Amino acid sequence: MADLKALEHATLKVPYETLNKKFRNCQKTIDREVSHVMQVHNELEKCLENTSTTVGTVVNILDSMVDKLSALKRKANESITQEEDSARVVKRRLEHLKEYEGSTGAALAYWKKKRVDRMLVEYFLRAGYYDTAVKCARHSNIEELTNIELFLVAKEVEESLLRRETSSCLNWCHDNKSKLRKIKSTLEFNLRTQEFIELILLNKRVEAVRHARKFFGSLEGEQLAEVQRVMGLLAFPADTDVSHYKELLDGHRWQQIVDQFREENYKLYQLNITPVLTVSLEAGLAAMKTPHCYSDSNKNADCPVCSKNLNELARNLPYAHCAQSRLVCTISGNIMNEHNPPMMLPNGYVYGELSLKNMAAENNGVVICPKTKEKFTIDQVEKVFIM
Amino acid sequence: MDACLSVQKEVDKVLGKFDGIKAHSARTLEELIESLSNIRQELSSAEPHTELNRVHQLILSSAQNRTKDILTRVSNEHKDIHSSVSKVGKAIDKNFASELIQLNSEQTFESPERMRLLNEVICEHFLRQGMLDIAENLTEEADLDMLDSAKEPFIEINQILEALKRKDLRPAMAWAARHREQLQAQNSSLEFKLHRLRFIELISHGGAKQQEALTFARNFSSFAEGHAKELQVLMGSLLFIRQGLEHTPYSHLLDPIHWDDICDVFTQDACALLGLSVESPLTVSISAGCAALPALLNIRQVMQQRQCQVVWNAKDELPIEVDLGENHRYHSIFACPILRQQTSETNPPVRLTCGHAISRDSLNKLTNGNKIKCPYCPVESTPAESKQLYL
Repeated sequence: MADLKALEHATLKVPYETLNKKFRNCQKTIDREVSHVMQVHNELEKCLENTSTTVGTVVNILDSMVDKLSALKRKANESITQEEDSARVVKRRLEHLKEYEGSTGAALAYWKKKRVDRMLVEYFLRAGYYDTAVKCARHSNIEELTNIELFLVAKEVEESLLRRETSSCLNWCHDNKSKLRKIKSTLEFNLRTQEFIELILLNKRVEAVRHARKFFGSLEGEQLAEVQRVMGLLAFPADTDVSHYKELLDGHRWQQIVDQFREENYKLYQLNITPVLTVSLEAGLAAMKTPHCYSDSNKNADCPVCSKNLNELARNLPYAHCAQSRLVCTISGNIMNEHNPPMMLPNGYVYGELSLKNMAAENNGVVICPKTKEKFTIDQVEKVFIM
Repeated sequence: MDACLSVQKEVDKVLGKFDGIKAHSARTLEELIESLSNIRQELSSAEPHTELNRVHQLILSSAQNRTKDILTRVSNEHKDIHSSVSKVGKAIDKNFASELIQLNSEQTFESPERMRLLNEVICEHFLRQGMLDIAENLTEEADLDMLDSAKEPFIEINQILEALKRKDLRPAMAWAARHREQLQAQNSSLEFKLHRLRFIELISHGGAKQQEALTFARNFSSFAEGHAKELQVLMGSLLFIRQGLEHTPYSHLLDPIHWDDICDVFTQDACALLGLSVESPLTVSISAGCAALPALLNIRQVMQQRQCQVVWNAKDELPIEVDLGENHRYHSIFACPILRQQTSETNPPVRLTCGHAISRDSLNKLTNGNKIKCPYCPVESTPAESKQLYL
């Protein structure tokens, strides 16, 4: 079960962060509605202090108080239901993870297949293959177990940024204000800077100055230096050749913002930068990688590391560590051990006894070395003892 | 599993609290609304223009205090759940590793070449599983050069497998006939097994298909060599064609397991014929990775505690042995029992005359004069008599 511990952090943490966010939103909603009621409450208090208040005024105030209370009741109920829903998502994922332990045979294989599919979906989402991700999740019925929603929100923001629109990304920043402040995000600042640059590009300099006054007024430290740099743009035409400013005006800054958004989105949900798929793929390749996989004569068609693409992907990985000899008969693919002892042909090649005996039985006692095509008789074969 | 359970405990607590607060706040607010409505009802019985009397004043101010109390309570009660919510997060962080192991310094998404390689592997993985539409989708989104000719064999194999699952043998038989020579070179019994199933199918229809079964039996002549015994059994079953095979010595022929078996045999032989591994390399690698990661995670923790730099690179081996089970062993590895080290091209394994295998380096070390005494048995020999092994 240790692999759950090693791999499933994001499976649980992402819905937890959603729950946490829902919780904070719910608290905000409740507090807001409470303050609405309190306003009416204060009004009533004032009326009571005033001795000349008529019954009619108080009745009106009471009516409005009941209205506000009903609103509070309804909204509290709605947002708590939302909280419950997101807590249940965590719970459902836990239940799925728990199924792993009890499963055997076909059920276990099915669970593992789902795990591979979950990893694939996550990989697709990160790579931006949203269509494939959604289809794959639907096919394997794992929509609830993957963080598709999170990425689809990100997709919209990213697309709008590439259309050179800042509004949906700014909304996202606003949604996650407190968390972004905690990780000292500069995303919002960069967005505002970009807006300023766009205004310059459109030659709307007066508006640009107004924009700068509005958003850059309260900055300090490093950002201040950046602001000064950007403000310098005001002195240049939009098609300036001064490399320093040309760079600022370049369109690829949008791509940088997209990258920054992506990174901070991952950070908010404590997602690793690398997808689980590649992490476990690389660990698996390393655990199976032997020097044989890189020598042409020793490749094994069943060995994943020997297959063309994975071979290349595994090139920079460490080899498997092996303190104990383990021999595989290259004729049959079976393990050589006390039941199938390794036998040496006179040319030094070693094969399993069972394979050699089978070959000899079919061939009137003659064995042919599959590697060198030399012919020997079965009684020339000698035992090898592997300690 | 404890990990899941301890997180679940916290989640259940939170769910319980949500449930409690939902019911409680709804009830208290409902009561408050009701009592305020009652007061309003009472007040409205008086003339709207009259001033409030002393009784009204008292009722209202107590209602006012109550309202304030309840409102603060509703807000605070919800606020109090925060600690339970954040405990869920802490339990997740405590029981699950947040930082994954990064074996490769090269980021997947940073190199388009690596991404292409990986995407092709994934695409093939889908093709193998018959998820053609998803493979196609990926080809499009990832902009892969997947030739139709690369897909065809998979499409065909999947169609045949699906037919086999429906107990339709025809596509498989046609395929086997087309590849007869290659299959025979592989020593495959696929075609015989397909014919056998077809024959059993005819027999199980009873007397009505007797003639057809007899005609079909002629096809078996080409399989006489190598399957003689099974052929006799099949022909013997003809005796019982009229009464059905259920309660005869031939009832095992009807076992549905033959149908599962034929799917496996077909997949195996077809993959071998196409030069593919039987299992998807992606699935195999990932399941190996899932087995290896916990061990790597532990070792990283130990290394970090001892403040060693944790680096993995291609020249090294992994710091620990990961046992993936016999199914994941594809290559022979000889670890010299003296040096406790894997042998290599420069230090190959050698066999002493007594049969014990050690590495060349340890042979040189153990040689005394022109004699080497085997470290495992009393036999003495000369280094020249030892023989290099090719594993």
